[in-house]
Amino acid sequence: MSDAYATTDRLVSADSNVYDRGLDTAIALSVIGFTLGLVTLVNLVPPGASGSALTTALGTLLAVVVGAVGITGLASYTNVVPVTSQRVRGIGLGLVVSTLALTALAAVLPVTMATLLGIVLLAEALAITAAGVSSRLELVDTEPNMSAGLLSGGALGAVGLAMGAAVGGALTGSGSLLWLVGAVVAGVGLFLLAILPREDLGSTLPTAIVVGALGLTIVTGTIGVGWQWNPQTLSGGFTGGAVIPVFLLVGTLLSAWSAAKCRAGFGARGREYGAFLVINLNAFLMVAVMATIVVFVTIKGVGYAVHGLSVGALTALVLLTPALLAAVQFARTPAGTNDWNAGARQLFRVLPLAAIGALAAMFASVLVTGTPLRYAYDYTVQVNRQGQALDTAIAVTPDTSIGTLLLIAPALLLAVTFFRSFGSLRNVGTQSERADSVRQAVPTVVLGLVVLIGFFLVFGPAPFGFPLNETLAFAAVVAGSVAAGGLAVSPLVGVLASDGPTLAESAQREAPLFTLGVFGGLGLLLATLLLQPVAGINPRVGPVNLVPAVALGAAVASLALATLTTVAKRSSEETITRRLLTEETRLGLVGAAGFTALVGLHVAVTGTSFNVLGVSIANEGSLSWPMVMQAYIPLGAEPGGIMPAIIGTVWLVVGATLFAVPLGVGAAVFLTEYAEQGQFTALVEIATNALWSTPSIVFGLFGAAFLIPRLGGDESLLAGMLVLGFMLLPLVLITSRESIKAVPDEYRDASAALGVTQWETIKSVVLPAAMPGVITGVILGVGRIAGETAPLILVLGSTLNATAAVDVIDGFRFVSGPPFIANDALLTASASLPTQVWAVIAAGVSGSPQMGWATAFILLMVVLTFYAVGITARTYFRRKLNYE
Amino acid sequence: MSDSINTETSTDTETNGEQTVTTASPSAETTAGESDERVREEWRQYEFAGDAKLSVENLDVWYGDDHALKDVSMEIPENSVTALIGPSGCGKSTYLRCLNRMNDRIKAARIDGSVELEGTEIYDPNANLVELRKRIGMVFQSPNPFPKSIRENISYGPRKHGDINKGLLARLFGRDDTEKEGALVERSLKQAALWDEVSDRLDDNALGLSGGQQQRLCIARCLAVDPEVILMDEPASALDPIATSKIEDLVEELSKDYTVVIVTHNMQQAARISDQTAVFLTGGELVEYDDTDKIFENPESQRVEDYITGKFG
Ligand SMILES: Nc1ncnc2c1ncn2[C@@H]1O[C@H](COP(=O)(O)OP(=O)(O)OP(=O)(O)O)[C@@H](O)[C@H]1O
Ligand SMILES: [Mg+2]
Repeated sequence: MSDAYATTDRLVSADSNVYDRGLDTAIALSVIGFTLGLVTLVNLVPPGASGSALTTALGTLLAVVVGAVGITGLASYTNVVPVTSQRVRGIGLGLVVSTLALTALAAVLPVTMATLLGIVLLAEALAITAAGVSSRLELVDTEPNMSAGLLSGGALGAVGLAMGAAVGGALTGSGSLLWLVGAVVAGVGLFLLAILPREDLGSTLPTAIVVGALGLTIVTGTIGVGWQWNPQTLSGGFTGGAVIPVFLLVGTLLSAWSAAKCRAGFGARGREYGAFLVINLNAFLMVAVMATIVVFVTIKGVGYAVHGLSVGALTALVLLTPALLAAVQFARTPAGTNDWNAGARQLFRVLPLAAIGALAAMFASVLVTGTPLRYAYDYTVQVNRQGQALDTAIAVTPDTSIGTLLLIAPALLLAVTFFRSFGSLRNVGTQSERADSVRQAVPTVVLGLVVLIGFFLVFGPAPFGFPLNETLAFAAVVAGSVAAGGLAVSPLVGVLASDGPTLAESAQREAPLFTLGVFGGLGLLLATLLLQPVAGINPRVGPVNLVPAVALGAAVASLALATLTTVAKRSSEETITRRLLTEETRLGLVGAAGFTALVGLHVAVTGTSFNVLGVSIANEGSLSWPMVMQAYIPLGAEPGGIMPAIIGTVWLVVGATLFAVPLGVGAAVFLTEYAEQGQFTALVEIATNALWSTPSIVFGLFGAAFLIPRLGGDESLLAGMLVLGFMLLPLVLITSRESIKAVPDEYRDASAALGVTQWETIKSVVLPAAMPGVITGVILGVGRIAGETAPLILVLGSTLNATAAVDVIDGFRFVSGPPFIANDALLTASASLPTQVWAVIAAGVSGSPQMGWATAFILLMVVLTFYAVGITARTYFRRKLNYE
Repeated sequence: MSDSINTETSTDTETNGEQTVTTASPSAETTAGESDERVREEWRQYEFAGDAKLSVENLDVWYGDDHALKDVSMEIPENSVTALIGPSGCGKSTYLRCLNRMNDRIKAARIDGSVELEGTEIYDPNANLVELRKRIGMVFQSPNPFPKSIRENISYGPRKHGDINKGLLARLFGRDDTEKEGALVERSLKQAALWDEVSDRLDDNALGLSGGQQQRLCIARCLAVDPEVILMDEPASALDPIATSKIEDLVEELSKDYTVVIVTHNMQQAARISDQTAVFLTGGELVEYDDTDKIFENPESQRVEDYITGKFG
């Protein structure tokens, strides 16, 4: 209340602080109880767990809560995330206090998880009753209505009805109708209790009765873990393991609602806060369902999938840093209006920050203490055979090459700033002619290098038998390095050559060059670094490894410039120049960081050390691929990998998308922009909808009976691509059509009035505007086809545990007769993730069940990656269409 | 009614008007007016020195069965501002759209009659619509910039017409017109009096501009194609007085080199900026067309006078 009524100038009585904090804790406790209910429901922690197992589980929860609240609090303290709301702080505190209390309880008393949950419900009931009564006795300032209202009464009555029926039924046994009496009594009783008294009692007492009854049932063991009920009218039954979590979900939802109402002082505000909490917990449930699937598959599969993966703690930390920075950035952007629930929303915003921060802290502790983290999974999946437990573990090994830390951590930090400042570059640099000419050179050179890299990727380092890597590539790498250095140094030269009277003025005049130096140097260096491993060369001048040396040189040059501009800025007066220079300073700094980061990443990823002037930077063996990411090794001691299946699935999706998107979008354009709306378009619509609902096995049969005889007679990758493409087609068509229709006619009119033809208009105005919708369709469709199994079994071939991946890129060759270009790889059978999962788990063909789960996990990751790509593309187009 | 004869023969319209107002119901007045116009063909025959840029003859437009424009004939002189005024729904927009064949885009519309641009029939079945709309540009009633950057909005037309080449291919072939584009964008925006406001954010999305800025951007976009005639449909209808006056200044400026036809609901605006004014009244008729001064000071038709003084429409 204290902050809820801060604006109304009402006197807040002394004890209302206790009231507020108490209710904050009650709300926090319901949130934790809800979470624990979910955890128990999916059996992450079994309801019967007790003793050290329970304490450990709660200890983990405590660690997570303390970590999250702690980091958020820290961020709030340092003003990264301004959490000003009393209520949010109170709930944060409540979260810590109540988790602590639960953990202590579990450690001291010999309770099971189920009992603990019952205690949670009882505590909730007590807290709510106390709050309601103290409000009724006017010990605190509240603004209750005359009644809790029919809606609340109805809901509580319904809960009472159900409970009464259950209790009545259990007491009297089946066959009698007496349970009806219990149901009616309980239902009507609760209903009346809710609507008759004033709101503060009406919305607390009935809730407390329900929650307390649920809690008592659990604590007294009336419904224990081993409890079972098999009504004769049903074929199935209920077990305590399933009922207790459900009780908990219902109970905590109710008590959260009630406590939130009390906390906001009843009345309109109370109703709003109550609804907000319930809706949020419900949404949380939605997310939890999705998360459960992902978590379940991950738990089953990740152990095997990462078997053999080992990451240096430093590498892990470094890889985590951008995520942490992104999360900070996300949390910093304003959360919208400053209304009553902004604080709560902010809490949701900072959750990723907290999660990533906790991970980072974990890796840091490994780094400091030297104790590796081990996750040991011990599980058996009994499908067809006895699963043997593997010693799967994620070993995070500490790594003490401090040089790398010094190199990479600040570099990444600054690199992020660099990319954030990217937008400011557009307006910089119109003043200088020199800058213009350099600007034109940069894309040309970069394009050339990219083409060169592509060339090497396609034809290898020795195309047509010419050992180009000895000559051309060497020259290119050297030229790239030199150009990168040159560009990076160019601002320095520019400033020195400039005829401004003072250094500051020269720097101002040449400010645009700094941008180019940073950008050009970075771009060229990146290209060169890419080229270097592809071309298989490593240019050295004497003992110096050229590329990293140039990178270091460029970084130093940029730093020098940054210093220079800082000096210049100090003596400059004009505001525009100052602005420019501020940006340039930052750019110089982050440019330097970018270079350094590149070198660091180069070392971290490839593991190759390098020497510059006697300083050696190495990080050997900090990343080794997990076994599952390799090809299957038929006779090896280690179980085989699934790389060929991953590649097969990726190719299938790429091929299907390449087939379906142009066709689908083209048809959508025709139907919306050219065809007269009439029977034909209606027919097409019906056909597409029908196609979309056609079972996938039918597509498979069609592929097997129609496509395969026409595509060389054998199951093949191409047939798989086409069949999946046919499945994707209708969705792409439908969504594209809708989004093209949604493009306003004003755009078309405006374009037509400028004398632009219809096709040009479609190409340059309509399609870009419809792009986000089209991409949404593709995202949804890819999600469907990537995991499609049935048709693939029929058309892709049953290559399981393949020892080699299909090599589509190398498969292309020119032939003298039509069709002039052929690709044998497309016409061979291939492995794919879904068929592999099916074969291993369901059909029991070769490989252990763990292998199947690992494969499923990887499949999930592949699909999520496709999602991520699609969503990024959609966000990009949305940004482009809407002003920022 | 006897008034009709009276009006037809007498020049004393003043008396007539008073009589109508005092003695007749509104419907009677209209009947009187209609019979009154029917015989006064010459009120629409506007005589001017110089060439007609556009000449419209016996133009009829139907939307389905709805006869939206009735037998309009009108000659529009070169390098001048012609205002079209009249009550809502009388067919001004319809008429304007006929002039660059934007009505072709409305499926229900059927057009009969002839429109000539410098003596060439634009409703010729072989007419080149692209060329026509390049020569006759249009600014719409509500601003409709593309969801692209300000720069791209301006250079959109010229790029599509191949006057400006940009991008990777153009650069490869050494025909990159970035400079030319920059100059064109600057010129068009300056013409539309928008340059000072947006010169430092040409690459921002145009949807981020204010309504008035968007409208001026649309004018700049139209000017970038370098048309001969500019059709404007209430370009200032959604703007505040300052933005409106900017657009008015702009129109006056444009009339030196362009032929401007502008629809407006604002009498003062029409009086201020136009050289000649055409008055349409309900039913899609062109009632009177003359020098703006004449129309506003001493219109021939009683109905026009009523409309202008706010008694009708
Ligand atoms: N696309 C269309 N389909 C059918 N009827 C139309 C269409 N456009 C206009 N009309 C009709 O034609 C008549 C003239 O419309 P028009 O838009 O030309 O009026 P206006 O003089 O521009 O009115 P305003 O001043 O309100 O813009 C109106 O009766 C209108 O209902
Ligand atoms: Mg109109």
